[in-house]
Amino acid sequence: MSKKTLLLIDDEERILRSLRMLFFVGYNVRMTTDPQEAIKILRDEKVHVIVSDQRMPTMQGSELLRIARDTSPATMRILLTGYSDLDASIASVNEGEVFRYLMKPWNADEVKKVVAEAAAIAESSFAVQSHVDTALDLPCDRPRVLIMDYDETTAKTVHDTLGDRCEIIWASDAQHAMEVLAKQDVSVVVSDLMLGDTNVGYILKTIKQLNPQTQCIVVTSFSDTSRLIELINQAQITRFLPKPVSTGILARNLESMLERFHLVRSQPALQKRQAVAPISSPQEKVLAGNFMGMLGRLRARISV
Amino acid sequence: MSESKQMVIEMLSLVNPVESVSPDCALEDVVEYFSNPKYSKLLSLPVVENGRPIGVLSRYRFMDIYLKRYARELYGKKTIRNFINASPLLVELEQPLAEAAQHVSANMRFPLTEDFIVTRRGRYLGVGFVMDLLKAMEQKMRANTDELETAYTRLKSSQMALVQSEKMASLGQMVAGVAHEINTPLGYVQNNVSIGQELFLQIQTMLAEYESLVDKLLNEQSSEEQITTQMQLVAEMRGDVNTQEMLGEMHGLMADSLYGIEQISELVLNLKNFSRMDAAATDVVNVNDCIESALNIGRNVLKNKVEVVKHLGELPLISCAPSQLNQVFLNLFTNAAQAMEAQGVLTIRSWHDGAAVNISVADNGKGIPQENLVRIFDPFFTTKPVGEGTGLGLSISHQIIQQHGGEIRVDSQVGEGTCFYIKLPVSVTATTQAAPALPTMVGSNPKEMAYE
Repeated sequence: MSKKTLLLIDDEERILRSLRMLFFVGYNVRMTTDPQEAIKILRDEKVHVIVSDQRMPTMQGSELLRIARDTSPATMRILLTGYSDLDASIASVNEGEVFRYLMKPWNADEVKKVVAEAAAIAESSFAVQSHVDTALDLPCDRPRVLIMDYDETTAKTVHDTLGDRCEIIWASDAQHAMEVLAKQDVSVVVSDLMLGDTNVGYILKTIKQLNPQTQCIVVTSFSDTSRLIELINQAQITRFLPKPVSTGILARNLESMLERFHLVRSQPALQKRQAVAPISSPQEKVLAGNFMGMLGRLRARISV
Repeated sequence: MSESKQMVIEMLSLVNPVESVSPDCALEDVVEYFSNPKYSKLLSLPVVENGRPIGVLSRYRFMDIYLKRYARELYGKKTIRNFINASPLLVELEQPLAEAAQHVSANMRFPLTEDFIVTRRGRYLGVGFVMDLLKAMEQKMRANTDELETAYTRLKSSQMALVQSEKMASLGQMVAGVAHEINTPLGYVQNNVSIGQELFLQIQTMLAEYESLVDKLLNEQSSEEQITTQMQLVAEMRGDVNTQEMLGEMHGLMADSLYGIEQISELVLNLKNFSRMDAAATDVVNVNDCIESALNIGRNVLKNKVEVVKHLGELPLISCAPSQLNQVFLNLFTNAAQAMEAQGVLTIRSWHDGAAVNISVADNGKGIPQENLVRIFDPFFTTKPVGEGTGLGLSISHQIIQQHGGEIRVDSQVGEGTCFYIKLPVSVTATTQAAPALPTMVGSNPKEMAYE
């Protein structure tokens, strides 16, 4: 089997040299300080994983990864940055749709593991790409949208946009949301991060572990960069929209996430592209564990 | 207690609930009232009909009538209804004190001959003395003044807290910026070391195998087979291109790591120089050093966005609070960076003329409209969105420069850019710096020196 290709971009050459050594064995490493050069490589070569810095003189990493999405959709995108600013992390979700948001300084073993996982996923994505006709034409239930937000305007926009095509459930609190999730899978979740005084981050993380097809849109006025980074890595949220969000933007993202859901559903190989990292916070681990346990019991009861 | 209740209590303390006089009382009978000790303090008698005050009869008026010749005979039997002042000073119990006092002082006549009547919903309640009312009013005003003073003191201390929090906010931002900047060299240094460690282990094993081979060769008891096996093992290891190549690369990585550590040290040194936590608060310095220090710290904001052009002239040393000047420069630099949307140019000049050191900081950003320009040094004035700026940065900078006996002014053209000019006297010691510097010399901890 040929080596998988890893493309590294950083404006600091020493970072590149250092990372190259980490992947010296087992990968074909391509590296550059110039994002334009990186785009050219993406166009000309089969790149499995791209690891990009965020802050670069000529282009932001999230912008480069957005271009990478178009140029080489199968390539897995990872951001590796020393700066944890909110704008960058929002852009990395919405534009870059990154697989992982990693921080400098990094843990060598962790980065190795993430890249290996990403490379394997990319390999199967390339395979899917070349056999488009294998798409499953599954009998389709009415897609379900779960709203976890007190905000009526959010609920209204969801109803106005998808009401004709989807079953829409508006959960008023965390308990209600969990009960809904126990009964059925959902296609798209639109959620604030705080539901009353419950931080629902762990629910989003569990949803994605439970059903990788579910697409998560977070709509919130809560802005904590480190939490957002956790949600990128551990819940693979696909959109992060700061409140107040315009109806048009939310509607557009709802459409594209529903489309994404259908795509992922028909191409199971693509599900892995949104594989989540394990939950890191010990409290959330416990909460998620309890939630999973409850789901297991409820689902067993329902199927009887 | 509710405000209206409080008002009633204030007013109630002014009421003397003396019995009122009927308008049908004969004038001659009034004498008894006036000589009654209960009424001794009253200037006038309240005249009430059906519970409602209809007038007052003052001692003054009474005397005026009664001192006339035959007055007693002429008017003695007449009812006082004919003699009363039918428009007395009336105050409602639930009226605010200030309002009552205003009404009374506006309508009272001189010499003061009458008291005012207090009513509750129009019905007679008692008599109040004008002097008491005015006294109560004065007391209240004094209390208000005290309140104002307390409020002022509180405001002042909260302004100070704000100034402090602005300082902390800019310091926090700066530290966060530098911390992030450290992450890059830290990233590759850490990675290189962990790669080196792994490689080192491989080489250790390799060496052990070599040694074992040498031992086996030297040992006469070794069998041919043992030697061959060991030779094969060593040959395999030698053949591992990866290890060979990585070893070659490791040289470069070591050099990189040393460079990175140097970078980290430099960043830490910059922080130290900027905050001057370990130096005296006042010092004799070259202002160009302050500019450089602020530039080093602000690099994170300026990087990739702003081209910095420096024309730093030769300057005499001046006595100042360097950490404060650093703060002013950093504030000007970061403001300029924020004003420039695309790639901008920040031009910093310094020169010396006669008794002053001059600094100018110019950007080619969007400029400041005239109406904002006049308020730019005002505390809390900001054009940044809520939460992004305290509006104290320039106000504090202005304060700092003034405390140094200098001046700061600004020129701006919308669409062309903004330029700040700072003038600092060379001999600043005489004005503000000498006094606070004194405790340092008698041995107090320089870190505790605070300037505002």
